[in-house]
Amino acid sequence: MKVQYINPFLQATTGLFKDYLGMEIIAEKPYINTEPNRLGDVSAIIGLAGETTGAVVLSFTHDSAIAIVSEFAGKKYAALGSEVIDGVGELVNIIAGNAKKDLHEFKIMISLPGVVTGSDYRIHWPEGIPVVCIPFKSNFGNFSVNVSMRDIA
Amino acid sequence: MRILIVDDSAVMRRIHKNTLLENGIDESSLIEAKDGEEALKIAVEEEITLFLVDWNMPKLNGVNFVKEVRKYQKYSKTPMIMITSEAAKYNVIEAIQAGVTNYVVKPIQGNVLWEKIRKYL
Repeated sequence: MKVQYINPFLQATTGLFKDYLGMEIIAEKPYINTEPNRLGDVSAIIGLAGETTGAVVLSFTHDSAIAIVSEFAGKKYAALGSEVIDGVGELVNIIAGNAKKDLHEFKIMISLPGVVTGSDYRIHWPEGIPVVCIPFKSNFGNFSVNVSMRDIA
Repeated sequence: MRILIVDDSAVMRRIHKNTLLENGIDESSLIEAKDGEEALKIAVEEEITLFLVDWNMPKLNGVNFVKEVRKYQKYSKTPMIMITSEAAKYNVIEAIQAGVTNYVVKPIQGNVLWEKIRKYL
């Protein structure tokens, strides 16, 4: 997976959380995630199809999911209910959709997002493609964007 | 006035609805649908004056919904604003070809969205 595929996701995430929501976020150094199934308590998954295939997973801790969706929705949530789950799905949808505009090499379709919660879930990442994790620190808690995308032939 | 908000995300519908309410639109003017199929049924029964439509939705997506709605004479010129995360140029072209009046990429601040909406009211 080419390094330049990571930047659009980094920029889309920064655009959403920093520019739109006004959050203080710090993107840490991306790394190859050798344990891509050990993610946060709440993970939103979107599939990529078309001229490449892959997946994007936005992963939060329990508390950061509630705090960040509260900020996004303009409503204070106290628990991980259906609207918070819905909001987490919408956030990954925005990241993937916005990243597309800078992935000029491909024409990509994105799937509807799915959200998993808990500590015992397994994501079936595309086989044989590394998963790159971009960790973020924020004033609402930590989260990460994990991307796996097949290089164009 | 009847404004139909079509989005599968309850949070996004809430955000759009708040933008409209904060700008003086009466709640009784607003109708919500969670996918294109539900929205199409409402559109047939009601006289919608403005559509706010997401792209990625189950059952009937936003672009196909717009194509279906445009088949009705009563909606041949009704403003349809697509509000979507789909930011690629080819997406914008596809939506315009389907019949959308304006195309807005999420995330968008409420005041910026309102500026786009108000000219159609």
